[in-house]
Amino acid sequence: MATTDESTGSWFGADGQVSQVRGLLFKLSCLGATLLALGLVLVFLLYVFNDAVQPLTADTGWLLTFVVTLVLPAVAVGVYYYTRDTRAGEVAYTALGLPVATTLLAGGVVITFEHIVSPHAWFALALSATVAFGLVELHARTRTAGALERLAVVVLVPLLALVGVPGIAVDFPVETPLLGQELFRLSFAIPELVPSLREVILALPVLPTAAISLLLTFTLPIAAAAAWHVRRVRESDRDGAIAGGATIVAAGLGLVAAPLVDLSATTWVVLATVVALPVGLYVESVVRRDVGVSGLAFPVVVAAGALIGAFLVDALGFAGPDLWLDWDFLTSPASTTPRDAGIYPALVGSVMMLVVVAVAAFPVGVGAAVYLEEYAPNDGLLGSIVDLIEINIANLAGVPSVVYGVLGLTLFVRTAGMQSGIVMVGGLTIGLLILPIVIVSAQEAIRGVPDSLRQASYGMGATKWQTVRNVVLPRALPGIMTGTILAFGRAIGETAPLLMIGAAAVVRIPPDTFFSLFSAMPRQIFAWSKEIETEFRYGVLAAGVVTLLIVMLMMNASAILVRNKYQRQN
Amino acid sequence: MTRDTPLETDGGDPRADGSGTAVADSAAQTDSSDESLLDSSFDVEDRSHASEDTDAIVEARDIDVYYGDEQALQSVDVAIPEKRVTAMIGPSGCGKSTFLRSINRMNDLIDAARVEGELLFDGKNVYDDDVDPVALRRKIGMVFQSPNPFPKSIYDNVAYGLEVQGKTDDVDEKVHRALERAALLDEVEDQLDESGLELSGGQQQRLCIARAIAPDPEVLLMDEPASALDPVATSKVEDLIEELAEDYTVVIVTHNMQQAARISDKTAVFLTGGELVEFDDTAKIFENPESQRVEDYITGKFG
Ligand SMILES: Nc1ncnc2c1ncn2[C@@H]1O[C@H](COP(=O)(O)OP(=O)(O)O)[C@@H](O)[C@H]1O
Ligand SMILES: [Mg+2]
Repeated sequence: MATTDESTGSWFGADGQVSQVRGLLFKLSCLGATLLALGLVLVFLLYVFNDAVQPLTADTGWLLTFVVTLVLPAVAVGVYYYTRDTRAGEVAYTALGLPVATTLLAGGVVITFEHIVSPHAWFALALSATVAFGLVELHARTRTAGALERLAVVVLVPLLALVGVPGIAVDFPVETPLLGQELFRLSFAIPELVPSLREVILALPVLPTAAISLLLTFTLPIAAAAAWHVRRVRESDRDGAIAGGATIVAAGLGLVAAPLVDLSATTWVVLATVVALPVGLYVESVVRRDVGVSGLAFPVVVAAGALIGAFLVDALGFAGPDLWLDWDFLTSPASTTPRDAGIYPALVGSVMMLVVVAVAAFPVGVGAAVYLEEYAPNDGLLGSIVDLIEINIANLAGVPSVVYGVLGLTLFVRTAGMQSGIVMVGGLTIGLLILPIVIVSAQEAIRGVPDSLRQASYGMGATKWQTVRNVVLPRALPGIMTGTILAFGRAIGETAPLLMIGAAAVVRIPPDTFFSLFSAMPRQIFAWSKEIETEFRYGVLAAGVVTLLIVMLMMNASAILVRNKYQRQN
Repeated sequence: MTRDTPLETDGGDPRADGSGTAVADSAAQTDSSDESLLDSSFDVEDRSHASEDTDAIVEARDIDVYYGDEQALQSVDVAIPEKRVTAMIGPSGCGKSTFLRSINRMNDLIDAARVEGELLFDGKNVYDDDVDPVALRRKIGMVFQSPNPFPKSIYDNVAYGLEVQGKTDDVDEKVHRALERAALLDEVEDQLDESGLELSGGQQQRLCIARAIAPDPEVLLMDEPASALDPVATSKVEDLIEELAEDYTVVIVTHNMQQAARISDKTAVFLTGGELVEFDDTAKIFENPESQRVEDYITGKFG
């Protein structure tokens, strides 16, 4: 209202009638809390990183050399981008990050083909899956069959291709319910009737070498996808063919050239597919858009600086830092001497465990979420029961991980009779632990699908199943993926359940099947923290922590990537 | 929406909601020129074929719809003629959408909704136990108030109905034909692979119409299809509806009385409480309605 302040006659607040003090104090304390939280995390990270890398143990000359060849040029270029060409700065950031991230990913893929599925097993799997898929498609194209026949084909063909008709062996005592007296024993065994196509392929007398297997069943599909992508964005069939062809040639070159650079041919094929191809596609996209092209120089400057620096310190005889986290650490097994100790078996164990977690928790979690959101009744007595279940699932997400450890031990070891401390038990237990998180985040993603889309689909005469499959799931998938990857990030760091199910403190060889004893990175780190020698507790431990953090960081980064890509689409 | 210059207001009202109150507000202004308005303000087109009566394809007999304890429609009786445009008008919340949804059983998707009475489609009560609502919806297409294309390519949007209904022959041709009939083909011909969400609002709504007619349904239900569109897009959609009436039975809900007068052959007037007050030839409704309440509503003297 236009009444003037009677005492002063001024309304503009200069005399302090509007008090800002409380607001200011509140703002400052919020800022303080933020700084404290960030500061603590940062100090901890620097501390661990310092222990893992020990930069100060290097000769001054070594440090100076790298400052001159690597740090100064990189900073100079960075300042140029920042002040002159911010778009190039963004490009520079990605252009440096992409090779690093994809190389780490390639490491994971190499480990997978080394320990989890051999290239031959993969070859047989991919080939028989392709054949099965082709047959199902062919059937759909050529026959207008009823739903039942379709279902039979869709289920049986892949089953025959991948699993075959397995033999059955039953040995089950039938007892009276209370006293446990054995009435009779149900016992019979049927030998395997039909081997699967996969097994037939594996048993062939001649199989392509490991590298060629990967070239055919790993590189080829990815190259085809890249070709399709390039064809679409460049609107040119020829460019697509060139992209696909170049990928295959680059990977195939490894068959002859790999020994020259001291790599195995399979590693070359994986590197070409997982690192060179994405980097190439990225360079292509930057050049095509013609925005910030100069940013591509950044990784070149960094790489050249590192190479020149390495050459100079070698020539001048400067000693580098006393790294704990180095290539040897990543690739050697545990040892009783700190210098020789490595994390490789635990790294492989973590990756294999994560495979079990993913295979177990993802389908179950997404399935449960779809049921709860799309099918479960909403009202009446059943609706209340469903509500109760949903609340409890949310609660389960907060149950301490030790409890899940106990649950896993009871369920999988005591009840199901599996051996304790094997990959399968660890993966299932931790899968159980993240299951509520997967369910809740998938539910959230499914709830985010606008109802108008469902209405549109039903209005077109789609069944519920068609609506869920064609409209709801594709639209919710990015959200589901983001939540699930974050949950996997949590899974890979869990320690307490591993202690409960008896994962080994130290293993010298990586597990070679999902039923082998294993150790995982957090379990290994915990073991190192209890060693008597200080070098274990500081250096080796820090290197292990940094490795674990990098793996987690990568998973979270990929979750963020998925989310950003999805947000841009909307 | 002001009633005093009805002829000039060519487009639809972009604000669909609350027009009932707008009508009530402007009632005072139109009071004096009551009679003349009724005669001159509605440009009822002389749709030559409208006079020949066709058989009813959809027939509602004593339809009541309840949401929980609340009744949204009260014993509605309507016979919708084949290959004609039938408009449903009435103030907000009077049950127009509810009636539309009871034709193709979209009310089944609302837990609280309950439908009583008979609704005949091609002589068969769609609420009989042996009627599968999915099969029914394959015969009766629907276009919604706000455009809701799928986050898929334009092509896949139009092909969606064909795909889910298993009509996998000549998909290419049918998609092109549907886009052409929806007067959209020229605008999107070379971006069929791009997302349907990248189109403008009016184009999206025509995409939704193309999607609805691609599987060639017998009846097309449209729930205020132009209410979220600008005048230019609205008139395009209106032209389209007149075209479609040559092959399809169109039932259109609208808030816009000029629109109803322009494009429909038959008009049903619902008034508050879910009552169908009058159902007749559009010309009759707009020029000489039987019910005083309908006349009041149409002239803006809503009450
Ligand atoms: N999903 C629903 N749940 C409960 N009540 C509803 C629902 N949809 C509509 N109604 C009620 O039914 C009545 C008619 O609504 P509607 O058919 O949408 O009217 P119109 O389309 O004519 O504006 C309104 O009173 C509205 O509140
Ligand atoms: Mg409505």
